Amino acid sequence: MLKKYIIFALIAVLGFYLASTFKAIPFGANRLGDLNNPETVSAFYLQKSPEDLHVANTITAIVVNFRGFDTLGEVTVLFLAVTGLMSILYRKEEEETEERLAIPSSSLVRTGAKILFPLILVLGIYVFVHGHLTPGGGFQGGAIIATGFLLMLITYKTFYTNHNVMTWLESIAGLGFVAAGLYGLIVYGSFLQNTAWTGNLNDLISGGLIPLIYIFIGIKVGTELTSVLDTLLNIKPRKK
Amino acid sequence: MVISPVHYIVAPLLAAFAIALLAKIYKNAARLVPGIVLFYNIIVSLVLMPQVLEKGMISEVIAGWKAPWGINLVLTPFSAFLATSVSVIGFAIWLYGYKFKVRLKGGEVKYYEILQMMMIAGSLGVIITGDLFNMFVFIEIVGITAYSLTAFYRGRDGAEASFKYLLIGSLASTFLLLGILIIYTQTGTLNMAQIAERMPMVPQTMKITALIFFLIALGIEAEMFPMNGWAPDAYSQAPSPTSAVFAAVVSVAGVYALIRVTFTLFDVEGIHQYLIVMGFVTMLVAEISAVAQANLKRMLAYSSLGQMGLVLIAFGIGSHLAVFGAIFLMLNHAVIKALLFMSGSYFIYNSEDKRLVGLNGIHKRLPFVSAIFSIAAFAIVGFPPFSGFWSKFYILIAAGDKNMIILIIGILMVTIIELVYYLRTVARIYFYKDEVEHTEHRPSINAIISMSFMTLFIIVIGVYPDLISGYLHQAADSLLDKANYIQHILK
Repeated sequence: MLKKYIIFALIAVLGFYLASTFKAIPFGANRLGDLNNPETVSAFYLQKSPEDLHVANTITAIVVNFRGFDTLGEVTVLFLAVTGLMSILYRKEEEETEERLAIPSSSLVRTGAKILFPLILVLGIYVFVHGHLTPGGGFQGGAIIATGFLLMLITYKTFYTNHNVMTWLESIAGLGFVAAGLYGLIVYGSFLQNTAWTGNLNDLISGGLIPLIYIFIGIKVGTELTSVLDTLLNIKPRKK
Repeated sequence: MVISPVHYIVAPLLAAFAIALLAKIYKNAARLVPGIVLFYNIIVSLVLMPQVLEKGMISEVIAGWKAPWGINLVLTPFSAFLATSVSVIGFAIWLYGYKFKVRLKGGEVKYYEILQMMMIAGSLGVIITGDLFNMFVFIEIVGITAYSLTAFYRGRDGAEASFKYLLIGSLASTFLLLGILIIYTQTGTLNMAQIAERMPMVPQTMKITALIFFLIALGIEAEMFPMNGWAPDAYSQAPSPTSAVFAAVVSVAGVYALIRVTFTLFDVEGIHQYLIVMGFVTMLVAEISAVAQANLKRMLAYSSLGQMGLVLIAFGIGSHLAVFGAIFLMLNHAVIKALLFMSGSYFIYNSEDKRLVGLNGIHKRLPFVSAIFSIAAFAIVGFPPFSGFWSKFYILIAAGDKNMIILIIGILMVTIIELVYYLRTVARIYFYKDEVEHTEHRPSINAIISMSFMTLFIIVIGVYPDLISGYLHQAADSLLDKANYIQHILK
């Protein structure tokens, strides 16, 4: 009993300390300073992304260009998570198989899923194609696409994704991202650099390589998340 | 295209994404491509190392935004030296493990090779990045690959070790992110040089809170007591080449991250004393635990923790000579411990159980591997003709210069403990009666080449430490000269 109180007291002290520390940080306050003479990176990004990159969505400019290298890393983290998951959950063909769906879904769900599936895909593609103009982008679009596949996977017993196609799409999207980076390295001397044909602000084709990279990210995230869901849901042995 | 630091990362990434496709065309591609990539990284190191020594530092910008605004990669003599060692050892481990799991069918090998290569690439990223958040991303890459590889054998124990590692690794990531968040709110930047420059202006409470988050998070990565409970399980359950990578590459990257953050970013008093005390406790607890182990890989894992503790002590002493010794020890530990895991795994492969009993009299069956294991064991304890002697020697001299008599006594006493269990193991190999059933698995030719190369390194450096001491002195200087780091990057 005493032990419990001591732990509780310790957590309370720690919580109080952290709360008072974080309270001192003025989250949400405007601390940008002078935009034309930037001191912090946020001010610099806000000023540069419409001016130099001609990208309307500053978040996209940060994610794909200013900190594109981090994004490449994050995409790789997702890729490695999928690879790791497959290496652990890989099933040999002789192992026992189980049914994915214990209870078949009703015809209402099946019909609804069939109608919704293409619409979800279109929405996902729209979100990542317009990533540099409107809120959202590759990660969000990819996640939306994966939800579409999830809907199909949990509705139809016989729905399987084609692993060959998935592998090809995933690899080509990943290689495309790195190739776009290498283009910058070879042409301008800096990895992921992007200064040519940036177009006009707010146009669909603007921002140079940024929309292209975001499309690659969208495809990659979509296929990878779908692979995760498929690996976790799919108990059927994989055909080679 | 001129070779620049970004090649360290881009080549493995390209390969990782391409392996899935290449494996469809040519079956052996999954095994070959990582070797080519790791060899390419050695070439990158060989090209960049002279440039770094000549100019003092190389800073490369990513996406064309110069230092404080974009992400930059920095090769100081310190990080270039570690990157070079990691590339070379990574390649040696690949060569050793080339025939690994030949009996497995295509798919699993592909996953294994991708994960192993990316673990080395992620560690390289941690070492060469000059941006705090970028470092977090690379630590994530190392973490994800490490969890998966720990569970690669899909056994009960592997799953347990992996899950433990996953939990504590996620805690580390969360704390690291919180620390970065606090730093970012206070300085408005993520570039390490600029953070270091603005650090004196940060309020003391914020600084201390952020430092605590960093110390916990990076302490987990650098295997500092008491956050290192995951390490022995993960080391002993992972496939053997992976254990070697854990010891030789991942722990080096973890210690580098910890040292870079505490030495360059923060200007808090008392951090050196903290490193000495925690390093010593880590070392003492780990070495005492190692004596009690009946499993060879667990014993080696605890010994790894002990060595990391000594590295932290040496960094904590903080003088030029101590840092010199610490970097020397990092290199030695990487080479020797990798070698111990490589040769040790052949013992395990040849005996029915993983316990030390299986080593009894094994030298008759595996004379070459036994000799290598014994040399490595003597080297890591610090016997004179081998390289391990010099690093320990310099650390003790550095401690003596600062009149830390108790520390010297402590280190020497822990060395005796270390001596006990390594000599006991070597004695088992050579002098015990062979009672356990053995299977016959001779080392493959590539493993022999790889292990001989590393043994040669231990002996050559042991006889002529001057071959690398010039690099080490420059590396130690560059780590201690914070003003130069800031000025060079932000100029």
